[in-house]
Amino acid sequence: MFKKLTIKIALVLLLFSGVSCKKWLDLQPTDGITGASYWKTKEQVQASVTGCYASLLGSPNGSRSLAELLFLWGELRSDMLATTTFTVPEELDIMNVNILPTNSIVNWRSVYQTINYCNTVIDFAPQVLGNDQTFTQDALNKSIAEVKALRALMYFYLVRSFGDVPLKLKATASDKDVEQIPKTSKDSILLQIIQDLSEAESTAAITYGDRASDKGRITKYTINAIQAEVNLWVENYAGCISACNKIISSSQFGLIDGSVASTWFNTLYVNGNSNESIFEFQFDNQRQNTFYPLLGIVSRHLAANPLVLTDVFPTDFVNLPPMIDIRGDGASVRSTDNMIWKYSGLSNDNRTQRASTQYAAHWLVYRYADILLMKAEATNQLNNGQEAIDLVTQIRNRARAVAGNNTNPSPSDKNAVNDFILDERKREFAYEGKRWYDLLRNAKRNNYQNINLLLQMVLNTVPADRQQSAIAKFKDKNSHYLPIYFYELQTDKLLVQNPFYK
Amino acid sequence: MKKYSLQLLFWFCLVALSGFIGKAQAQSVTVQGKITDTDNKPVQGVTVAEVDADGRTIKAGRTDVNGNFSLKIINKKHKLSFSHISFISSELSIDERTVFNQTLLSSSKDLQDVVVLSVRKADNGMVPISERNLTTAHAHINAKEMEEMQSASIDQALQGRLPGVDITAASGDPGTGMQIRIRGTSSINGATNPLIVVDGLPYETTIPSDFNFGTSDEVGYAQLLNIAPSDIRDISILKDAAATAVWGSRAANGVVVIITKRGGVSRPVLTYTVKGSLTKQPEALPMLNGDQYSTLIPEEYMNPAGTPLPQTTKEFQYDPNDPYWYHNYSNNTNWIEAITRVGYIQDHNISMTGGGEKARYFASVGYFNQKGTTIGTNLDRINTRINLDYIVSDKIKFRSDFSYSYTNNNRNFANNLRDIAYRKMPNMSIYEFDEYGNNSGNYFSPFANIQGSYNGLTSSGNVNGTVNPVAMANEATNNIISQRITPHFKLDYTIKKNILQATFDVQFDINNTKNKSFLPQTATGRLFTEPAVNRSYDGDIDVFNVTTKTNLVYTPEFKNPKHSLVSFLSLNTFDNKSTSHEVLTSNTASSILVDPSSPSRTQNSESKLQSNQYETRSIGLLLSAQYSFQDKYIFNAGIRGDGNSRFGADHRYGVFPSVSGRWRISGEKFLKNVKSIDDLSLRLSYGQSGNAPTRDYSYFSIYNALITGGAAATIGTPFSYLGQGGIYPSNPELKDLRWETIVGQNLGVDLSMFKRRVTVTLDFYKNKTKDLFYTGLQISSFTGFNTIDQNVGTMDNQGFELGLNTTPYKSKNWQVDLNFNVSSNQNIIREISPLYPSSKGDVTTNGQYATFLKVNNPFGAFYGYKFKGVYKDLASTIASDEKGKPIIGPNGQTVYMKFNYPSIGYTFQPGDAIYEDINHDGNINYQDVVYLGNSNPKYTGGFGSSVSYKGQLKLTAFFNFRYKNDVINGTKMNTTNMYGFDNQSTAVLRRWRKEGDVTDIPRALYRNGYNFLGSDRYVENASFIRFRTITLRYTAPKKIADKLKLKNISGYITGENLYTWTKYTGQDPEVSLRGSDPFRVAFDQSFTPPAKIFTIGISASF
Repeated sequence: MFKKLTIKIALVLLLFSGVSCKKWLDLQPTDGITGASYWKTKEQVQASVTGCYASLLGSPNGSRSLAELLFLWGELRSDMLATTTFTVPEELDIMNVNILPTNSIVNWRSVYQTINYCNTVIDFAPQVLGNDQTFTQDALNKSIAEVKALRALMYFYLVRSFGDVPLKLKATASDKDVEQIPKTSKDSILLQIIQDLSEAESTAAITYGDRASDKGRITKYTINAIQAEVNLWVENYAGCISACNKIISSSQFGLIDGSVASTWFNTLYVNGNSNESIFEFQFDNQRQNTFYPLLGIVSRHLAANPLVLTDVFPTDFVNLPPMIDIRGDGASVRSTDNMIWKYSGLSNDNRTQRASTQYAAHWLVYRYADILLMKAEATNQLNNGQEAIDLVTQIRNRARAVAGNNTNPSPSDKNAVNDFILDERKREFAYEGKRWYDLLRNAKRNNYQNINLLLQMVLNTVPADRQQSAIAKFKDKNSHYLPIYFYELQTDKLLVQNPFYK
Repeated sequence: MKKYSLQLLFWFCLVALSGFIGKAQAQSVTVQGKITDTDNKPVQGVTVAEVDADGRTIKAGRTDVNGNFSLKIINKKHKLSFSHISFISSELSIDERTVFNQTLLSSSKDLQDVVVLSVRKADNGMVPISERNLTTAHAHINAKEMEEMQSASIDQALQGRLPGVDITAASGDPGTGMQIRIRGTSSINGATNPLIVVDGLPYETTIPSDFNFGTSDEVGYAQLLNIAPSDIRDISILKDAAATAVWGSRAANGVVVIITKRGGVSRPVLTYTVKGSLTKQPEALPMLNGDQYSTLIPEEYMNPAGTPLPQTTKEFQYDPNDPYWYHNYSNNTNWIEAITRVGYIQDHNISMTGGGEKARYFASVGYFNQKGTTIGTNLDRINTRINLDYIVSDKIKFRSDFSYSYTNNNRNFANNLRDIAYRKMPNMSIYEFDEYGNNSGNYFSPFANIQGSYNGLTSSGNVNGTVNPVAMANEATNNIISQRITPHFKLDYTIKKNILQATFDVQFDINNTKNKSFLPQTATGRLFTEPAVNRSYDGDIDVFNVTTKTNLVYTPEFKNPKHSLVSFLSLNTFDNKSTSHEVLTSNTASSILVDPSSPSRTQNSESKLQSNQYETRSIGLLLSAQYSFQDKYIFNAGIRGDGNSRFGADHRYGVFPSVSGRWRISGEKFLKNVKSIDDLSLRLSYGQSGNAPTRDYSYFSIYNALITGGAAATIGTPFSYLGQGGIYPSNPELKDLRWETIVGQNLGVDLSMFKRRVTVTLDFYKNKTKDLFYTGLQISSFTGFNTIDQNVGTMDNQGFELGLNTTPYKSKNWQVDLNFNVSSNQNIIREISPLYPSSKGDVTTNGQYATFLKVNNPFGAFYGYKFKGVYKDLASTIASDEKGKPIIGPNGQTVYMKFNYPSIGYTFQPGDAIYEDINHDGNINYQDVVYLGNSNPKYTGGFGSSVSYKGQLKLTAFFNFRYKNDVINGTKMNTTNMYGFDNQSTAVLRRWRKEGDVTDIPRALYRNGYNFLGSDRYVENASFIRFRTITLRYTAPKKIADKLKLKNISGYITGENLYTWTKYTGQDPEVSLRGSDPFRVAFDQSFTPPAKIFTIGISASF
């Protein structure tokens, strides 16, 4: 009996440790979908692509919202903002050209988060082809084109803001993919961007069938718009013009009529997804932008610079009835309290502000006016001043720009025409996160020929006691790029702080 | 799993039954007889039983009033047994005999003073091995030694008693847990609590970390409370890795083995113990009163820029023409006194124990009630335990243990309430006055005043900002109710007597906790629309554990008695399921509607509706053997395989070997003749044990929907883009997460002399933790993620422990015992991932010390400036070079001392703190930072003595100590910085006020200056000796007890924390190192020393 029992026990133990053990220890979480069961259907590819876009609206892990970051990067260092009593020190430091690596505004996390989501789709979506028979190569290519272009756009923001940055083109799927990589030079990154864009262009969708998706997702035209700006940045003017022409000749876009200012404002900014728009982040009431605390609440951090209403959008004293630039009071700024109106305004005529629960204004990335002005800038650089002036005039007429700021440059005076275009961009894209990049692009052209643009700007924005130091800093072209956030240097020993901030 | 467990049980039962059936044969015979005692009087009620060869009862009857019995016997080969509680049992074979007239001997002698001289068995929870043969390091304490102490849980009582076991309290409030560290911290932030093993099975002490208890780690640990100290028979602590290896993956931080009391063969003994205590908060740090405070603040505000407090600041105007403000802000409120009271504790316990040949029982019911010294805190606990043993036969034994406990704990809503009270402006009133000076009786909780307002809660349950502490203590609630039921069944089957034995244990553990809290508007004064108002929380967590253990113990008999072998195979399984539900809403209509089910707002960033489910499983198979040759050479080896569901398939299983040995030198010939030595042994051990991560499912990469909540990934509603839901990868798959392995080495010496009157245990150890876990290691953001869990490096814990027990004097009436223990531990990082940060602390910010992680250097060192006093006048702020000559600027101008030029460039002013300019460059910056101290004590330990007279009167005293550790006196820093509107200690009355003042307290500077940079001003030597307890116990002699018709009775009085000898100027030198990261330093934030406790207790048995 003793032996029999021993055998029985041994059998039971064997049962324990052998077959059952493996299964027994394999527990699955009850929330979320595990990686092993993902990437099986075309719907999952679609949801992941949507996830990439959705990450533009807000970060899932509490990082600063991307739209807010792009606003701060594009506007804080330029000349259109003023402080309030609630401006936080980090914002103030950037405005005063006193940027430290510890300033969390220079934290690029939200941008790379979106890049990683894009990389994940690029790496894993192809395996769905084998799992889902209804998923076609064409559909796959379209999806990949979208995320590749989005990734290129993200890198384009990074390279313009930081110069050299780490180039990560592979998804971080497991801890084995966590690595330390050095910075890649900005030229190589721009090359990568150009390559990605041209790859994406060939397979991207032209339309998704409805207006909102065509504006909220990346189409072929969005890719052309990015190409135009990238080419302008790398001083490939012919390339810029060709990209712009693709959009212009498509006849899919046009300027919103400005004859009734309130309609124009409603169509372009309040409702969004207008005929003029090429790509915009689709905030909605469910997922709002973060501009209420930043720009809208009583204790808002930032307001419009008072000079904007006097200098950028001056009152016209010449004509009667006076011409009023529709882009000024009631569009960019509310004159009564210098509130930045593009994201807060619900109407242009009675100046009604959005309620805190209505902050869903879209973040405009590209619109048709931008294409026209980029084309103008490029044609002027290729010595076609008259065409450039004509394009600018088209924008000015739409906006009923006042005569006072029409400098009437001679078409042959390349610099004057350039200044004319830059000034118009300032009016047209006030607070759309473009001003700093416009300034920097023009300042750095032809090996920093126009660095005075920045030095002049500093005079208007930085308090007197810090002006000299700010000018001295801006004279060093390395200071035009942001420092790498200190955290990144701690976690990646191969990263080297940007030269100005060492 | 459960299915298999049941199956196994079924097998055992089947086999046992087959035994019954197989042997039943019909040979019916009637036997009879008379039972008498030695005085020839008949004995009634004697159990007469027919038992088989295995001692199994087949049939039984009882004697009548004349002592007669008759019984129909089934098998003549069986035996007849006679048993009675007052007599010695006897057993006779039947064969052909039919008449049994028996005389039973009284067993009363048994119940009188019996001196048991058996060798104490040490229990590692698996197989008991006699302590003298142990090959591993362990510490042991008998619960009797601690029973006088008034502690809610055994961990509190263990403080300082055992070498190498460091137990520190989180706070003195009822229900807060303790932190137990055995031989230091072996992990940087993984699980660091030791495994608790109760009656042979692991006892879960943690709850999932994302449940809303402030610091779940400590609170979860308070679950240990659920074992009443009076139910515990003894506690052993397994310290070295060879010992803990037996328990596998959850034992990597040491094992606490608790054995509860069980019944023995005796008549029923009813024991009642009662303890009552008074607890009193000792004198606290003296703080400014309202008048002193109101002169400090305007001066402090004026100092930086010369601008006086704005006219709108009515808090300091004391203007009788503005009566509302005048009455509410002209008081001398002692906030600490207002939230403090005398606490009391009562602890009742009734237990009953006894049993016969076949069945034994221990049952107890306890009630514990504690009223805390802070208003709003109390603890109620009811617990019962029934331990039953039934001996079916010589082969089969059953054990069934059942314990239940109910705990109802009220805590302060704000964990830092006492801290808030210390800082609260003392000129403010507790209750609101109207403009006529009438006390309205309502708490004065303004929306905000100059000192600030309620600013939300931190993740650890501390209130940010300030509130009315009295309103907070009385009005806000935080209640935790937990119930725990732990049935434990054990089947013991002897397959071959003394040789092969199988045991099967299964334990179910049902642990339900409910946490409800409510923050009314009256406690914060916030606007009614804010989410902080009438904030109501309700959370439930239900945990269900199933633990099984199957042991097969093989102890072969050798013909040659020189050999002996104990070996066993053990299979352990553990399954833990927990589900939690939490609701947090705000803005219920009234402060009386405290439940989240009342209509309230759920749409805001603070609110949540959440549920979670987790499951963990682990399995372990252990093979272990202890071989002894000639009782001199003892060798133990074991190998354990562990599997854990928290790892990915690649790293799920780990194999951890251990070997240890003992050489009894005293058994050798050359020492045989030394009569004074009872035992001298050398122990050597090496063992590995693996540690699993603390989180479930972490190795999965999860795809989640994007949600609006932001920070916490599981809260909030999903959001869409263009009407479509977006999915994103929420974490990378952790393919590479491996077992954290602790490799322990131990060298120990045991010496016992003069018939155990002197025993010494000395251990040296080195525990190397390989593949250290780090949860939430920051990774570069270009990966797209914030943090991952990773194995980051190697860490050593090394040190020694010495325990000494002596009985220097022993006579017929007197016995004097002395015991002493000391230990020392060092933590050293040997290797660390480059991703791990290498320093912490910004020396250009007030209040911060720099700490560095240096490979191969012990933890705990901190760096800062040297404080040299206060600049008395302008001349003293002139910078000077090495030779003491003033530094002259390039244009011949005077150079004044500066702070961190150029990036900060603050010029020191008269009245500012002087920091030593180490490099004499006129600039105080990081180059002037020097080594200031080390938080790790060189030695810690305790010593005690007991003197007893005739075994009736016994005086016991116990002291604990720490030697040579530096503590940053954070309380001193916070109460003398004069930087904000917080109240300050009376030391600031001697602050620098005008040119020429010579003092050691700098001037007051509202949010300005650098007067409390991390410097040696706050670093103090915190060596101490504390008079931990003294007890006088009187045990009534038998004569008196008999008169009272009691079995025994004793009473005692105890005083705890009576006095502390230290040079430390803070409130309590016993500062624990919070957290487990390598940057931790001892930073004292306490405002009060530990409470003094006076206890009276009585214990009586019937």
